[in-house]
Amino acid sequence: MSVPVLEIRGVSKSFPGVKALDDVSFAIARGEVVGLIGENGAGKSTLLKILNGVYQPDSGEILVDGRSVSVASPRQAFDSGIAMVFQEQSILPTLTVAENIFLGREEEFIRFGLISRSRMHAAAAEELRKVHLDIDPGMRCADLAFAARQMVEIAKALSLNSRIKGHVTILLDEPTSVLEQKEVDLLFRIIRDLRDRASFVFISHRLEEVLDISDRVYVMRDGKVVKELSARSASVKDLHQLMVGRQLHHEYYREARQVPPSPAVVLAAEGLSRHGAFHDVSFDLHEGEVLGIAGVVGSGREDLARCLAGHRRPDSGTLHIAGAAVRFAAPHEAAGAGVGLVPAERKVEGLVAPFSVAENMTLAALPRFVSHGAIRFAAELGVARDWIERLKIKTPSPDTMVGSLSGGNQQKVVLAKWRIAGVRVLILDHPTRGIDVGAKEDVYDLIRDMTAEGLAVILLGDTLEEVIGLSSRILVMRDGAITARLDAPPGGKPRQVDILRHMV
Amino acid sequence: MRAMRQRLDTWLPLIVLGVLVLAVGLYDRTFFSLGNVLEVTADTMTLFLMASGVTLVIMMGGIDLSVQAVASMTSCILAVYLPELGFFAIPFAVLGGIVAGFVGGYVSTRLRIPSFIATLAVSGAVLSAGYWFSETRSINIPGELSQKYLSWAVGNFLGVPNEIWVGAFFLVLLSLVLGLTPFGRVVRGIGAQERAVIASGIDVDRVKIAAYTLSGTMAGIAGVVMAARLGSGSPTLANEFLLPAIASIVVGGTAITGGVGSVWRTFVGALIVQVVRIGMTFMGVSVFAQQIVFGVILVAAVAVTMDRNKVLVIK
Repeated sequence: MSVPVLEIRGVSKSFPGVKALDDVSFAIARGEVVGLIGENGAGKSTLLKILNGVYQPDSGEILVDGRSVSVASPRQAFDSGIAMVFQEQSILPTLTVAENIFLGREEEFIRFGLISRSRMHAAAAEELRKVHLDIDPGMRCADLAFAARQMVEIAKALSLNSRIKGHVTILLDEPTSVLEQKEVDLLFRIIRDLRDRASFVFISHRLEEVLDISDRVYVMRDGKVVKELSARSASVKDLHQLMVGRQLHHEYYREARQVPPSPAVVLAAEGLSRHGAFHDVSFDLHEGEVLGIAGVVGSGREDLARCLAGHRRPDSGTLHIAGAAVRFAAPHEAAGAGVGLVPAERKVEGLVAPFSVAENMTLAALPRFVSHGAIRFAAELGVARDWIERLKIKTPSPDTMVGSLSGGNQQKVVLAKWRIAGVRVLILDHPTRGIDVGAKEDVYDLIRDMTAEGLAVILLGDTLEEVIGLSSRILVMRDGAITARLDAPPGGKPRQVDILRHMV
Repeated sequence: MRAMRQRLDTWLPLIVLGVLVLAVGLYDRTFFSLGNVLEVTADTMTLFLMASGVTLVIMMGGIDLSVQAVASMTSCILAVYLPELGFFAIPFAVLGGIVAGFVGGYVSTRLRIPSFIATLAVSGAVLSAGYWFSETRSINIPGELSQKYLSWAVGNFLGVPNEIWVGAFFLVLLSLVLGLTPFGRVVRGIGAQERAVIASGIDVDRVKIAAYTLSGTMAGIAGVVMAARLGSGSPTLANEFLLPAIASIVVGGTAITGGVGSVWRTFVGALIVQVVRIGMTFMGVSVFAQQIVFGVILVAAVAVTMDRNKVLVIK
């Protein structure tokens, strides 16, 4: 390979409690399309964000055309010829298509200090033609269909190619997840057309697509590149195997403590649907079981979890808790019925950071700690001390600000909060995200403790391995529907490839 | 360093107050006399009462711009109905504040309208209501009625003006509510991280509406005390109070972004504002120019109390 257009050498990046990237090296040749795959949390997005200047690497370097460069901001990345199409769209809905495409690069259209609309629209129309998108550049993006907005996003990234002299690299983070097959075909045709002028990094959960469009594929796992292979010689099955990697070890997930679920149904969903998120979802949740839900981002499992906890409303379908029909309009109604959610965004939804450990723990059960209108501080502290001990939370005291604890200990505080509230159903959305290995094992133990006491747990695991290891049953979701239901008894766990097959 | 900064944040308003008092006192020694100190404090109380309820709203990260109009309106209600209803005109007037606060809270939470718009709209409606009650006039409260029904607000007890007792009562009451009750804790939590409070299964809307209602109530009480002091009710009685009220809260160290604050701080803040006002009068600054100074103080206080490095975008 001649000098790569874009290369990274030995890049590492840590966040508190996790090593997101560990000594990653990666190169893209001129005109090449490189696929990047890995499970959620494998480090793909972190890698792209480093290339795009959103994050700074702790160590290692980025080279463009063999020269070491610093990419301190998306703007600098752009100037170095690196453009990104975001998974979550970066289109501003209140601006027009043309304004979005040239956002931050209006200089070239300025005449007498004002932006020349006609010139900008003409240039935008040119860019839109390249992606075969037949829309008026003066339209507001809010009025576009979702897929069309995605195409505008792509046009914006591609526009770099006609604006910058020299070769560019375009990072595509799951660009196809909302596109129809026809649009995917179009996107691929455009990518192929542009290969003499641009290189691409392509991330997708749809492995067939990755193999279809890429020349080479990098497989990431646990923040490392575990394999680099030619797309021509690889099969989807190979990729599955590589993404999954190591064998399960039973002890890690406390399989011995997995109890057979009781026949009593705590929560029953029937035909639950929410437009644009999931449809016709039915399942029973039993006392003392861990029901895992597997699915990629966009499978609808996050929305489902939020509907169950009252954060969102389903459009149709019924939900029964302990036999009684319920309809939650807000989280406090769900909590009142005994359903709690441990959210993925711990710092935003899980905890009130400037509150003390004790204050956070009792937040979901405050009325229980009140007499004559005042909070009984002694009782509160007593309960907090008790749970700090039970969950082995490392904190100087119950009065310590929760924001100063480590991620793992913070998560234990969130779990304690719902235990103190006495919920019967606990929904765990990525309960081990961003916490270190030791704390993860503690959380697994706590989940087993809960189910032993009859709590029912719905688990949206951080990794597939975690879902398999902890769950007694697994629902697999794809594109908003349940595609498989698997039993996962101790000693008889399904293999990851069996689940991945239904996921992607 | 950080701990020091925090300690400084806690004590800074008191230090500022001390320095200002000293400065004004050196300019005019009579300022330090017991009689004068009591008088200045008594004069501050209406401002404090009005700002005390808004403190809770600001601690939640919201704002209540209606308090000035509410206080004016309740002064009118009191003045109009005192001859007819006697003592019951007082709760009736305060009820006006309760309703105004509730409506502001309801509109901002249930209809999901930003609080500054919701309370600004309420402010407009309440202003009109004040004109309607008073038929656009200033209404005198006859001396004998004031004697009979309002002496609790304007008389003396143990040599201390009653305004101070009333202010102290609500200072203690609201501090207890904020410090000891679940309501107070949730108010603090909403300001610090509302989404986590919602996700913990707390009916945040109810708490918010209660806080706005409390703010309207305190404005109503402030209006009653104001009318009692001045012996009249008028639809423009509390004009020029909004800016000093918000300045009191912020100068006291309650963060405009929510989460941190107390009624004590607002009390100190109100005293600071009052001493500055007196100082300006001593120095011959025109009453009309004083609002400029309050504006500057407000901006300076926000700059000091808000950790602007942590906030990415200021709206």
